[in-house]
Amino acid sequence: MKTPYEILDVAAHADDSEIKRAYLQKVKDYPPDREPRQFQAIRQAYEAIKDRKSRMSHDLFTLPAIDFDTLLDQALADAQLKPLNDKQFNALLRASLEDKTFVNGSAPVDPS
Amino acid sequence: MNETIIGIDLGTTNSEVAVVENGKVRIITDGDKKILPSFVGIDDNGDILVGDAARNQYLVYPERTVKSIKRLMGQDSRIDLGGQSYAPQEISAIILKRLKTIAENHLGHPVSKAVITVPAYFSDAQRQATREAGEIAGLEVVRMINEPTAAALAYGANQTEAKHMLVYDLGGGTFDVSVVNIQDGVVEVLSSHGDNHLGGDDFDQQIIDYLLDHLQTTHQIDARNHSKAMARINRAAERAKFQLSDQPYAQIEEEYLLEHEGAAIHLSVELSRMDYENMIEDYINATLDALHIALKGAKLTASDIDEIILVGGSTRTPCIRERLLDEFGFEPHGEVDPDLCVALGAAMQAAMIGGQQVDTVLVDVTPYTYGTSAIGTLNGEFYPFMFVPVIHKNSVLPIRKTEAFVTSYDQQDVVEVSIYQGEDPDALNNIKIDEFRIEGLQDVEAGNVITLTLDLDLNGILHVSAQEKATGLEKSITIKNALSRFENTALDTAKQRITSLFGHLESDPAIEAEPESFEAPEIEAARALITKAESFFDQASAEDKEDMVNLIETLTTGIQSKDIAGLEEPTEQLSDILYYLQS
Repeated sequence: MKTPYEILDVAAHADDSEIKRAYLQKVKDYPPDREPRQFQAIRQAYEAIKDRKSRMSHDLFTLPAIDFDTLLDQALADAQLKPLNDKQFNALLRASLEDKTFVNGSAPVDPS
Repeated sequence: MNETIIGIDLGTTNSEVAVVENGKVRIITDGDKKILPSFVGIDDNGDILVGDAARNQYLVYPERTVKSIKRLMGQDSRIDLGGQSYAPQEISAIILKRLKTIAENHLGHPVSKAVITVPAYFSDAQRQATREAGEIAGLEVVRMINEPTAAALAYGANQTEAKHMLVYDLGGGTFDVSVVNIQDGVVEVLSSHGDNHLGGDDFDQQIIDYLLDHLQTTHQIDARNHSKAMARINRAAERAKFQLSDQPYAQIEEEYLLEHEGAAIHLSVELSRMDYENMIEDYINATLDALHIALKGAKLTASDIDEIILVGGSTRTPCIRERLLDEFGFEPHGEVDPDLCVALGAAMQAAMIGGQQVDTVLVDVTPYTYGTSAIGTLNGEFYPFMFVPVIHKNSVLPIRKTEAFVTSYDQQDVVEVSIYQGEDPDALNNIKIDEFRIEGLQDVEAGNVITLTLDLDLNGILHVSAQEKATGLEKSITIKNALSRFENTALDTAKQRITSLFGHLESDPAIEAEPESFEAPEIEAARALITKAESFFDQASAEDKEDMVNLIETLTTGIQSKDIAGLEEPTEQLSDILYYLQS
């Protein structure tokens, strides 16, 4: 899976205007009318790193995409023995933000 | 050879058609006329009239003349015309058919594809109706683009400097405002807002009401039930509005307007620009409110805007320019022709879709938030219809978003999904655009995960699917406004009906000369689809592949026997499969 920086062909330390330029160039190469799929990937990449704030949150949360259930099972299995480590906690937090089942408390979270 | 795709601005008051030829974009004229009034009528012989001829007879035969049909698009209404009843799509199709013929006469060959512009703030139902109008007219609508966006494209094509632009588009019946960034050959819409029932027609109506009041007070007469008098009052109001664009007063004189108790009633009244501007002030205020919402959506302020372009005939109203000057501190741009730039932009986008080399690329957004309702809280209290936005206003198109939901009680075997358009946290205050059920869910406790995917395409048309995560049980629909939507067979009937209306008027020698070289667009589309489907075999599951093979077989048989009506269903099914394989 490519990072947004790779998709837009920009260096990891690129600034706002460099990223914008690279995005616009990619849009010209892959116009939404001709290449809707590529365009959507380009647009998502741009949204992820277009300004300092989005870059910070992207760079902080660059965990590999893991299936929520696998992650949960793993965390729960580990939880029998020891508290969650930071990485697991962050991953769970992130997953919970994306998945309403967890927030609503309807998913089988309770290990007991 | 690349097939020519024409660009059409289908307006409330006027329509235009344009094309890119030899790399240059131009309006196609009918004789020397660049503009086709959006009027449709039936003459004494029962023949169809479109454009100036229909507009001219409106005064004499208002009962068999239709104007401003665009205002009814997407609604479940019928229009009586010469003893027959028509859907708004059919009346619009008559205008489109005329534009198609104008283009064919100019190009010397048949045309079957078009890019049609719609107001940015047109709803899903209004967009669907526009596409249907195209189909009835024999035009495949390859793309619908937003009017202010088309105007920005026409204007932005020769811009070299990066700038922020505001497009203020006030037409006969609709208002849109868009904030656009133009940079490095990309015209990027940052936000759009509007009102799809606000336009010059409303200004006319204010004057009409004023004239009716005047007749009431001076002659104690109500002219509302006299259709011929009303047609003249309509026309007089529109003329007065035009005059007030460059004069401080307009004199309205309609002699022998009607008879009352044996005496002739003459209408004679003066209207000052100041009084007129007071009449329309609320409308202008509403456009400025929308403008500020658009600016906020783009996260910009008035001082960030480098240029304003005006689109639509109603922007000739002087007080609009004054109000914009007050707001931004500079005059709107004057170079762009407000009547023609939308059609020019449509033709440029048509050329891009048709594969021609173009220098400017368009990126557009949706002006609407789409979502569903779920059990949740509203103002801190339990509420069963909490609005859950899935696609947010001003998202870049195309966009696909998935949200997960859970069943709320044990053994729940059915979920009802409602799709809403709007911004209110209470779903019931938004516009419900469709609903469907997924039945036969597995027999489990509450918490069964259902994913909902909303997919908004480049035309601004929404596709929805929902899936039970554990079993893959799925239901998918394209939002089809149940009220205004034609069934497939009805669409064919409408097409034949409208075609027969034109009858002998359609026989253009240039087109009839080569009947063999021209294939029905349905057949052409089916052929293209088969080729495309074959290229997807590698990535299709065994089950999908089997379906695809069967559908290709049905299509091939249909093509051979030229069974055009029979092609429709398999074409749609195969397109659906490809659509999901692609996304």
